[in-house]
Amino acid sequence: MRRTTLPLAVTAITAAALLLSGCTPQASSGGGAEATGLDTVKVALVPGGPHPYFQPWIAAADQAKTDFGLGDATFNETAGWDQTKENDVINSLVANGYNAFGVFGVSPTDINSTFQNLKQNGIASAALGSCPAGDVNDADFCLSTDTEAAAYKAAQATIQAMGGKGVLAHLTGVNVDSNTQRRIAGVKKAVEETNGAVTLLPDVTDIDTDITTAQKAVADLLASKGSEITGIVSTAYNPAVAAATAVKESGLPISLVAIDDDETILAAIEDGSVYATIAQNPTGQAYVGSYALAKLASKECTMADPGAIIDSGSFVVTKENVATYDDERTAASEQLMKDFDADHLVCS
Amino acid sequence: MSDRPAVVRWLATPRFVLIAIIVVLVAVLTAVKPSFLNGAFVLAPLITSITVFTVVGLAQMMVLSIGHMNIAVGQMAAFGAMASGISFDLFALPLAAGLLLGLVAGAAIGALTGWIIARTGVNSFIVTLAMSFALLGLVPTVYSALSTGSAFVVKPEGFDLLGRSSFSSVCLAGWCGPAAIPLMVVPVLVVMALVGLLYQRTRWGRELLLTGSNVTAAELSGIPTARRIVMAHTLSGTLAALAGILLATSIGSFTPSIGDEFMLQSFVGPILGGTLLAGGYVSVVGTFLGITLTLVIRKGLELFGVGIETLNVLLGVILLVALSADRVREIRLRRGRAPGSAPGRPSGSTPDRTPDAEEVPA
Repeated sequence: MRRTTLPLAVTAITAAALLLSGCTPQASSGGGAEATGLDTVKVALVPGGPHPYFQPWIAAADQAKTDFGLGDATFNETAGWDQTKENDVINSLVANGYNAFGVFGVSPTDINSTFQNLKQNGIASAALGSCPAGDVNDADFCLSTDTEAAAYKAAQATIQAMGGKGVLAHLTGVNVDSNTQRRIAGVKKAVEETNGAVTLLPDVTDIDTDITTAQKAVADLLASKGSEITGIVSTAYNPAVAAATAVKESGLPISLVAIDDDETILAAIEDGSVYATIAQNPTGQAYVGSYALAKLASKECTMADPGAIIDSGSFVVTKENVATYDDERTAASEQLMKDFDADHLVCS
Repeated sequence: MSDRPAVVRWLATPRFVLIAIIVVLVAVLTAVKPSFLNGAFVLAPLITSITVFTVVGLAQMMVLSIGHMNIAVGQMAAFGAMASGISFDLFALPLAAGLLLGLVAGAAIGALTGWIIARTGVNSFIVTLAMSFALLGLVPTVYSALSTGSAFVVKPEGFDLLGRSSFSSVCLAGWCGPAAIPLMVVPVLVVMALVGLLYQRTRWGRELLLTGSNVTAAELSGIPTARRIVMAHTLSGTLAALAGILLATSIGSFTPSIGDEFMLQSFVGPILGGTLLAGGYVSVVGTFLGITLTLVIRKGLELFGVGIETLNVLLGVILLVALSADRVREIRLRRGRAPGSAPGRPSGSTPDRTPDAEEVPA
C-alpha cells in the first residue's frame, strides 16, 4: 500500500481536475459578450499596482458609470506590480461578470497575451496609461501618454531652464519597464540636440517604488554631485516629488522639471523652486477609455483601426499657466471623446 | 511499526487534513460563487499557478530534505529562465534545447551553492542569502545588457503550446480535452513522479533523507554527505529553473522579475504538506496539497475582491500556522523516538509515525 500512495495521489489529482473542468458553466466562454446596451456593460479599470498616478481613475470610473449609464465601473489595484497577479485579478473580474477592461499592464512585454485571452473570449480591452512593448497592441486600443514625447518635452524644458548648457540628471522608474526605456530615449534625444553643451549623467532608475526610496536616492545624488548638477528632469512621480522638496531645501541652483501634478510640485512651481512639470491625463484616460470600452463591449461600435495607439496628451505646466493648465487638460479630454466618436469608433 | 490500521494512520497525516480542507473550501466557494468553476478564467489560471508553484515547492523541499534551506529559490528561477530566454532570443535555439540550457544553468548555480556550503560548512541560510543578492544584481544587469526593454520576447515553436494551451487543443476522434486543464500539468506530473521515485525507490533519495535526519550518523554510515548536499542543491536549482521557465511560458516572455514571488510560497507548500524544516522527512503530494490550499484560498479571496494587503496578511498567517505545525510534529517525533529507538534513524521509522511512500528508504 505504501508504494502506491504517489501514483494514487497523481491519479486522484488528475481525476479531480478533470471532474472540476467538466463542470465548467456555460457562462465561462462568454464573459458577458452578449451585452446589447451600455447598462449591461461592466467596466473594470485595473492599474499595475498601487500608485498615486491611478487615484484619479477612481473618480473618473464613478463619473463614467453615472454619465454613460454603465452597469458598473470598478477600480482594482490589487495586482501589486506583478503581471501574474494582475492576470489573476483580471480573470477574477471576468468570472464576476466584468466584460470591458482598461488595463495598465505591469509587464509591457507580456500584456499582449492577456489582451489576446480577453479578445478570444469576446471581452473588450484597452491599454490605459501604458501601451504594450513593440509595434503590436492586441488590445482594442491604447490610450496613453506618449512617454518618449513627454520625456523629450520635459528634457527640452529643463535644458531651456539651464540656459542651454550644463550637467543634467535624469530620475526615473523601473528600468525593466519598456516605458522607462522610452523615457530614457526621449531625454537622450533632447540632450543630443545640444551638441555636447549639456552632459547627461547616468540615468537614476528604479526609484519610483515609494516616496522614501525616491527621497533617499535624491539625497544621495545631491550629496555626491549636487555642486556640478545644473538641471534635473524627473520622468517618474515619486522622484519628482522628492526632488522638488530636496532642491528647495538644499538651496542649490538646480533647474528642476518634474512630472505629474502633485500638490507639492504645483506649490513649488508657484514659488519658483521648480521650473516646470509635465502633467499627464489620467482622468481622461479612465473617463474616455471607459466610454469607448462601453461602446465596444455593448457591440454598438467597433474600432476603425483595431489596436490603435492614441495619445492622451501631456501638458507643460509652468508658473505662467499653473492656475489654468487643468482647463487645457479638460479640453483635451473633451476633444479625445469627439475624436473617438468621429474617427476611432465605427458605430452601427 | 505502529499497530494502527493503515487507514487510521492516513487519516492522521497532514495530507488528509489538507485534502479535507481543500474539498470543503472548494465546495463552499462553488456554492457561494458559482463562477469559481469558470474554466477559462478561474480553473485554468488556478491550475497553472498550482503547477508552477508546486515545482517551486519541490525545489525548496529538496534542500529541506537535508535540513537546509534555499533563500535564493526565486533568483535561481530567474537565472535559469534568463538562460533559456537568451538561448531563444540571441541564438534562436529550438524549445527543447533552450529548456535544457535553462535547466543546466539552474543546476549549475544550485551545484555551486551546494559546493560552497559543503566546502565551507557555512549555514545554508547565509550562503543562499548571499547567492540571492548576487543573482539579484546579476540577472537585471544581463537583461539590460542583452535585451531591449529588459525582456527576452522571442518565442520558439511550441512555447505558447506549453505555457498557454489547454487540453482543449488536444483532440481525438472528434472529442477535445477540457479547456480548464493547461497542458503544463503533464510535465509537472512527470516531475512530481520523478521526485517521488527519487525519495521512494533510490539509494540517493534515502541517503538525502538520512543526511537530513542526522548528518553525523549518515557520515558514520558511509554516506558521502558532502556530495549529497551538492546533489540536493543542484536538484533544487534545476527545479527552480524549471519553475521559472514554466512561469515565463505562461506569461509570455522572460523578464528579470520572474521568481519574485517564489520564496515565501516555496516554504508554505512543503511545510503545510508535512515536510520537516529540520530535514529527514519529505512529502511530494503534501507539497502539492499545501500549494493547492494556499492558491485556492487566494483565488477565492480574489473572487470576492479582497485587497492585496489582506492576501499578504493571510499568507503570513498560513506560514505561521504551518511553522507551528512543523514544530508540533517535530516534538511528537522526538517523543516517539526516545525509548528503544536507535539514534540517527530516519524519522519515518519512528514508532509514533509510520512512514509512507515518499519518505521511506526501501
